[in-house]
Amino acid sequence: MNKKLLATAASTLMVTAVMAQDVIVAKKAAYDVGKLTASSRAWNHVKGTAVILYPQTTIRMNDKKAHMANKVVHAKKATVKALYDGKKIAFLLEWPDGTKSVQKGYQSDVYGDGFAVQFPVHYDHPKTLPYIGMGSEGRPVIIHLKKAVQAVFEPNGDGDVGMQQNVLSKPYFGDAIGKYQDEVAKRAVKNYRRAFISEGFRSMTEIKDGSETFSADMKYTGKGWRGAVTRPLRDIYLNLDNGAFPVAFAAWDGARLNRDGLKLLSSWVPVRLEGKTGGEALIKELTADPKGDIANGKALVEQNGCTGCHYIPGMSMPSFMAPGLANIGGYSTAAYLKESLVDPSAVVVPGYNRNAHPNTPWYSVADGKRQSAMPPYPLDEKSLNDMVAYLKTLKAEVK
Amino acid sequence: MSKRQLAMVMDLNKCIGCQTCTVACKTQWTNRNGREYMYWNNVETYPGTGYPKNWMELGGGFDAGGDLQAGIVPNIEADYGVPWDYNHDELQFGEQLKPNVEPTWGPNWDEDQGTGDFPNDNYFFYIPRICNHCTNPGCLSACPRDAIFKREEDGVVLVDLDRCQGYRYCIAGCPYKKIYFNPKISKSEKCILCFPRIEKGLPPACAQQCVGRIRFVGFLDDEESQVYKLVHKYKVALPLRADYGTQPNVYYVPPTEAPPKFDAEGRIIEGSNRIPIEELEKLFGKEVHQAIKTLKAEMKKRKETGESELMDLLIAYKHEDMFRLDQNYYQQVAKEKKLSLAPIDNRYMAGKHTADKYTFKVVEYE
Repeated sequence: MNKKLLATAASTLMVTAVMAQDVIVAKKAAYDVGKLTASSRAWNHVKGTAVILYPQTTIRMNDKKAHMANKVVHAKKATVKALYDGKKIAFLLEWPDGTKSVQKGYQSDVYGDGFAVQFPVHYDHPKTLPYIGMGSEGRPVIIHLKKAVQAVFEPNGDGDVGMQQNVLSKPYFGDAIGKYQDEVAKRAVKNYRRAFISEGFRSMTEIKDGSETFSADMKYTGKGWRGAVTRPLRDIYLNLDNGAFPVAFAAWDGARLNRDGLKLLSSWVPVRLEGKTGGEALIKELTADPKGDIANGKALVEQNGCTGCHYIPGMSMPSFMAPGLANIGGYSTAAYLKESLVDPSAVVVPGYNRNAHPNTPWYSVADGKRQSAMPPYPLDEKSLNDMVAYLKTLKAEVK
Repeated sequence: MSKRQLAMVMDLNKCIGCQTCTVACKTQWTNRNGREYMYWNNVETYPGTGYPKNWMELGGGFDAGGDLQAGIVPNIEADYGVPWDYNHDELQFGEQLKPNVEPTWGPNWDEDQGTGDFPNDNYFFYIPRICNHCTNPGCLSACPRDAIFKREEDGVVLVDLDRCQGYRYCIAGCPYKKIYFNPKISKSEKCILCFPRIEKGLPPACAQQCVGRIRFVGFLDDEESQVYKLVHKYKVALPLRADYGTQPNVYYVPPTEAPPKFDAEGRIIEGSNRIPIEELEKLFGKEVHQAIKTLKAEMKKRKETGESELMDLLIAYKHEDMFRLDQNYYQQVAKEKKLSLAPIDNRYMAGKHTADKYTFKVVEYE
């Protein structure tokens, strides 16, 4: 009993304290991991690593009902497992979700649960990884998305216009009608499983030419979902065969009208390939405890007027002035936070549409490059570290 | 803002609510493939719930400060209505006539109901609605995927189905709720202003088929076009709910010619008008007063002198004058873009960035 209490107390502490991320160790497998699915038994033999998924609150979407459904959102603790063979790597993401939501039927306002796995195209500089929200300019990411959505009819599926026509426009009668419709369905009906390349959310583009081969599936367990993604270690977009690489996860809860930016996401998490060397600097960067004086950091954030534009719970009100910081500590790396203080224009939340809020522009464009409206804060190293340590505490609780 | 802008004017004094436009659009575009419930063109009774139900209360558009407003994504069954059909072919085998879906709601559920006490002061009029192809579209601003675009050549607002991921923020962002979710393809779709017809010099199907000849189509910068004359020269055609801040490009000649009211004894109340001016002001803004004045004055002038350019316009003698489209213009654009044939936008046909994934630069809207 006492032990149990202690364990609960410890886990609460872990949540509230600034918690370092464990490295995900991808176990080496002697079989083809490309065949793994969310239900494969192989996952039972792999140790899971906890990854916390935080609600995306940098950008506020424009759906009234979704606002109501997401007034209070907690972070979720997911478990990640990874397996690799010489050629492919497989991930299993298990996350709690009490409501199984599938987007199906003749409905306009239902949304499916889903998950995504994101990889940076370049990660040789661990301090300048792509922006966590679908990459940033010059720092592309590859994303694998799977959603609990009924098979969709893709009108431009394979560009065969003749097979997209209404059956009434075809000279068919009797059995020929059914045959034609079967043929159409065979070509156009697709599993909602997509790969994207992106340099920021408005630029996200689906890879449709088959150049990205991967598999993804998800299975509801009664308490949550298990989602699996398998992909090559190397292809024309990515080379993950360097000992270690970063990965990020996202999950959508259809019951809360989640889609697109309304989601839970992790920060960049390091993955180490068991039995390989390399990537030590990256692992160190992504697992290090942010060191700094949190109280002083908070004072500095107040003194420097951050809350004049940014939303920080308890310190300012939500507005359209600048990215919301309510969960910034959850899904941003320390290096990104520091970079954003010293050089705000290095990454301007990519994809933000100024037209939606023209009187509070986050950035201007000069010579095709986005210039952040935020001035740089070239403070001394200690002050910056303190501020980053404070910003890293800004995140929702896990529940 | 696009280089040029196509616009449509609809004369509400002449709309008889026959739904020929609705049918023209439906058979052309929305009778299949997940679009069955959509009416890119609908004609609703005002006052009434409209389509989708109470669309004016569903948010979207911009506030005075220019901030995009949050909105609601309507429900197909409750707000749009699930299209139903009857088992006509089973009747010969002795079946009873029955619908395949229990009809609980649909467009024009309250058609011709209007408001007021019959016969003394009841009234209603029709508002045909299509996408407004706004200069500042709420749908476009709401899209997080850069999937909605406004054509440079004529301002037609289109969805790039290759980029659309079916998030539906566009539906929340459009104050007119004129963009719809297609559940079969899990993407949003909307009125395309019949651009394949437009590019051939033909008006949109809804305008072509209109038996009341209430619709004028042309470029707003073309001073010879009747839309220009109605909108800019005479200023009798006004945008619907301009207060939503999207700068719509469909204009309406407000309904001025309602019959007078009757008193308790059934006698005509001279000089009265059944349509309350407050309602017109709500729909068309303060400019409606001047528009009504101009219309009345021109009507009087026509009666007295037999001459009025405005009345001649509104009589709508010839389609060729009402629709001033320019096939040569589009052919010129196609030539400049080195396309052998219209359509002039290969983006709508092929999608943006599909050929080269490393060229995905985000468009900056100024």
